[in-house]
Amino acid sequence: MEPSRLGKHVLLRASKKLRFKIGLVIVVVMVAMAILAPYIAPYPDEGLGRVPLDGEGRRLLPPSPQHLLGTDTLGRDLLSRIMFAARAALMQSTIVIALSLVIGLVVGSFAAYFKGFVESVLTYLTELFMAVPSLVIALFIRLATNTPGYHVVIVSLTLTWWAWYARISYVYAKGIVELDYVVLAKLAGLHPLKIVGRHILRVIFQPMAVQAISDLGSALLEASAINFMGLGLPRDYPDWGVILFEGLRELSVIAFIRAPWLVVFPGLFILITTLGFALLADPLREELDPRLSRRWRLWF
Amino acid sequence: MPISLNYLLKRILLSFLVVLGVIVFSYTLLILTPGDPAVKWAGNPRGPGAVLAIELARRELGLDQPLHVQIAKFIYNVFTGNIGLSIAYKVPVTQVVASAFTSTLELLIVTYLFGVPVGVVLGTYSALRRGGRADSIIQTLAVVLASTPTFWLALIIMIILQAVFGVVPYGRIDGRLAIATNFKPITGFYLLDSLVQGNYAVFMDVFVRVIPPALAISVYPIGVLTRVTRTLVAEALLEDNVRAAVAWGVKRSTILRRYVLRSIIPPIVQISGLSFTYSLVDAMVVESMVFGREGLGSVLLDSLHKADFRVSLALIIYLTIFYIVVNTLVDILQATIDPRVRL
Repeated sequence: MEPSRLGKHVLLRASKKLRFKIGLVIVVVMVAMAILAPYIAPYPDEGLGRVPLDGEGRRLLPPSPQHLLGTDTLGRDLLSRIMFAARAALMQSTIVIALSLVIGLVVGSFAAYFKGFVESVLTYLTELFMAVPSLVIALFIRLATNTPGYHVVIVSLTLTWWAWYARISYVYAKGIVELDYVVLAKLAGLHPLKIVGRHILRVIFQPMAVQAISDLGSALLEASAINFMGLGLPRDYPDWGVILFEGLRELSVIAFIRAPWLVVFPGLFILITTLGFALLADPLREELDPRLSRRWRLWF
Repeated sequence: MPISLNYLLKRILLSFLVVLGVIVFSYTLLILTPGDPAVKWAGNPRGPGAVLAIELARRELGLDQPLHVQIAKFIYNVFTGNIGLSIAYKVPVTQVVASAFTSTLELLIVTYLFGVPVGVVLGTYSALRRGGRADSIIQTLAVVLASTPTFWLALIIMIILQAVFGVVPYGRIDGRLAIATNFKPITGFYLLDSLVQGNYAVFMDVFVRVIPPALAISVYPIGVLTRVTRTLVAEALLEDNVRAAVAWGVKRSTILRRYVLRSIIPPIVQISGLSFTYSLVDAMVVESMVFGREGLGSVLLDSLHKADFRVSLALIIYLTIFYIVVNTLVDILQATIDPRVRL
């Protein structure tokens, strides 16, 4: 089947599954929250990090009708901060995954198509970046630039992530370059760039895209971990990981866990969002790879 | 063993090149960024000794020489195990990283000794009950577990411990108990050390303290292995040898043990190895931020806050070596247990 028609077919079949629907609802709600945060957050200023004037008396209030999820260590409304933080969450994960996907696809398919020296060098680079933990790269980006911010999270995660995509697309592409139609295209004198783009990239793009959707969640988990360590986004920035980091820094662990709402809610949003991406991607993967959804008869 | 010398040599050469690449990459990143590298290397010193410290650092790095000479010198120092003294701790950098490493590794090993069997058992059960209620519950659980931020779960575990027992574990070992019972670290793996010395009080203390972080970190391997095992077992049940065995009337439990579970060991080893290196980051975050344990995580944070560049460099280099060693061991292990794999 042609890739684009296959794509529609897969999407149509997957969209009938309950998991896909739940995942879609979660993702849509998160995106809506990110876009509409200034309008729906009860205290938009505090959501962006401003400490209220009467903050002193509002510190660490448990959930109440005025503050549905309670307040943080500086008296800011937790719900507002969490709503604004959806922006950072979606931004970090989509940028990291999109960049990694593009780099990985190009490197992987070129390595598979151009054998010899190019293949060796690209494989070496892939090995190199797969061997370094993202957290330590984050430390280096932070040390080198000496400022907190998005760049720490995005650069460090992209540097480690693209290599995985490069390896997976390399394996996929390796299986394709030996196929007759690619060999024929080569014999017909088609430009290598066209062969890679038209006959390799287009074919491997779909399984890679499905992988990328489910990885949006994993990227969010890793980004949150970097922010939770205090390596990434600056303090006061609305981000779920940063909110937890701040609570831990302002209070000690012992005092922090005595304010359970401050611990539970930000992490719950990370969990739900990650789950949303996983639920969305799973049925797609099953439809794309029929082996996964095969109905096993219960004979054993 | 089905491993050729040729393969081993190639592997070692590639690993060596990767480590070199990481050294060049990280060193250049630090040197080429704004600020005097000698000042950075000396740890941004202030006060009367500053001039001398910076001058020493300049000589140590050979900063008057071109970049490639500096890097060559630094690489020589790395492979002779001499990166210098840590600025924050005043002891050799290798020693700082090594002692932190054993702590984190101990935590990871406990995590995997617990997580891998749980994941495999859940996955197998799920595959045997595929399509049923138990299967869908376990599958849902696996997805949720793999989506849980481990550092957050660690905090939740702390809340629960506080509510139930009124105390929470903080740190890796009770220092007073260790002194009172005359506990001496030998290998740095406290569980092992205390057992060897017959010091059961310390063993129990260390063991109780390692359980909560291990539980938090284990959700990732459990989630991943449950799903992978289910697919593997379900596929293995379709193999001809299993069908034949069933037709011959071999006992089901024997088939499961001998034909199904044995055949899935190699891929399980591979997946466990992959997620082991992934869990390293989880362990670093959880141990340092939530449980106040000394380990790679706390060393990383210290090196940032005290501008201890030597420790940062040592961290990136030795962790890279660790990744490579684990991956190589996994491949070799796979070739040893799976006769189909030839390296």
